[in-house]
Amino acid sequence: MDQERLYHLLAREIANELTHAETEELQQLLQHHPHASYIRELFTRQWEEVSQQEYPQQMLAKHLQRLEQAAAPEEEAEEPVATSGRRLWLRIVAAAASLAIIAVVGWKLLYRPATAPPPQEQLVTTKGTRSKLVLPDGTRVWLNAGSKLDYPKTFAVDQQRIVRLEGEAFFDVTTDAARPFRVQTRSFTILVLGTSFNVRAYPEEDSAVTSLVQGAVQVQLDKAGKQLVALHPNEKLTVPANLFEQSEELVKESDTKKLQVPVYKQPLTQVRDSVLTETAWVTNKLAFKHLELEKVTAMLEQWYGVEIGFRNEQRKQLYFTGVFDTGNVDNVLEALASTNSFTYIKDANGKIWIE
Amino acid sequence: MRNNEQIRSLFERVCQDDMRAYNELYLALCKQLLHFSAAIVSSFHLAEEVVSDVFIMIWQKRHQLAHVQNPAVYLYVATKNYSLNTLQQQKRHLHASLELLDTSALLIAPDAESGMISAEVSQKIEAAIRSLPARCQLIFRLVKHDQLSYREVAELLNISPKTVDAQLTIAVKKVTQAVRFDLSGELAQSYLHLDS
Repeated sequence: MDQERLYHLLAREIANELTHAETEELQQLLQHHPHASYIRELFTRQWEEVSQQEYPQQMLAKHLQRLEQAAAPEEEAEEPVATSGRRLWLRIVAAAASLAIIAVVGWKLLYRPATAPPPQEQLVTTKGTRSKLVLPDGTRVWLNAGSKLDYPKTFAVDQQRIVRLEGEAFFDVTTDAARPFRVQTRSFTILVLGTSFNVRAYPEEDSAVTSLVQGAVQVQLDKAGKQLVALHPNEKLTVPANLFEQSEELVKESDTKKLQVPVYKQPLTQVRDSVLTETAWVTNKLAFKHLELEKVTAMLEQWYGVEIGFRNEQRKQLYFTGVFDTGNVDNVLEALASTNSFTYIKDANGKIWIE
Repeated sequence: MRNNEQIRSLFERVCQDDMRAYNELYLALCKQLLHFSAAIVSSFHLAEEVVSDVFIMIWQKRHQLAHVQNPAVYLYVATKNYSLNTLQQQKRHLHASLELLDTSALLIAPDAESGMISAEVSQKIEAAIRSLPARCQLIFRLVKHDQLSYREVAELLNISPKTVDAQLTIAVKKVTQAVRFDLSGELAQSYLHLDS
């Protein structure tokens, strides 16, 4: 049968197993079945991972740490072969150290009193590192640098799924109408069914932002749950950082009146086709649009774990737009400085100064 | 993308204590080994440790590995064995095997951003692949994504190259039908009829 033969030859082509004769046979078959050319073209392309996205550099950094631990006793045992063995050991340490972007992921079990909810796990990222995990319900979370996520080891049946965030994270929530998903931050709680969105709630920043990419969420601004703001795709909501703590009294005073706080909704910011500044970090891109240099350098500090200071205060007010495929901080600074609007140097301690 | 020659030369340099080649080898293969392991142990977290353990073993035994003919297959086989061991420890399975694969770790699809296909077609392809038996999905991924040859897959899974050929043909058929069904419902109907 023609069709079956076609499938077979297409399979062999994908596997690079076609003989000369088969190549010609395939060409002829394709002439009789022109529609098959489309699917053939599709198969010859590179296919992408659907389930998970990794950062090989971070994996390598973690691996080298483990290798270092595993290698220590081995090297001691090989003491007699002195010089070469030792130098090698030094090289391992050097390699591990030079990759100082080591993802220091602290997995801790926090045991709570017997009446408390199930045991919590915690994922922490330091400055300059990002991490990704899959929660027990299949929800995927990308955790940006300098952030902390508390989540239960298992989500109970028929109960809300509650996680707590400090810092910035992108959530791709698994739909489960019976168990609504909630993200608690210092500034608000987000109620979710199934959707993907970004939350930015760093304790050192004066406002917190929820950005919705897909689906629908409600942002709850007070503990009583009376102040709810619904978000539509491609909208973000910015609220003052400490609103949640105050809101209880405010609600009591004003009761049915709306909260008088500077809460505002905006569309998400597009820098380039398909690059949103709010979520670019999830795909390992650093993106900003018309942002003061002072804020750009704060991002760089967070992203690369470096220190940046200003020797010329006026430079803080320069505005920049850019998308970077995170090489290293020098590449980014070089590119920004190539506009000739500022220069920078590194001092003896490695701190960067804008001049 | 896997280039056998490149992997082989990196591996040779690793055997001669080259740490940079070791890092490059890890970066070149860690993702695909991670997914392969995750399908067996059903956890990306565990799989990352498995892959790390495999590479620790490689470094520790590097002076005894110069004879390895096909380093890529060697790494896959090691990953398989370490994964099965892990599974055995984790779940206290008496017989850990490749029969129970978590296929969600294996799923691949054409890049919808390339503009060649719509998100809808992409989803249909994913659904078609999901409907395949687990081992068939694994074979499709190993050949299409990880670019293993028939012989390499056969060696890894202890099956014959003919079986690999047949399983891959089934996968191609399923995906083709899913896409064609989308292109033209009627055409596909008659086509499905012809097939059966």
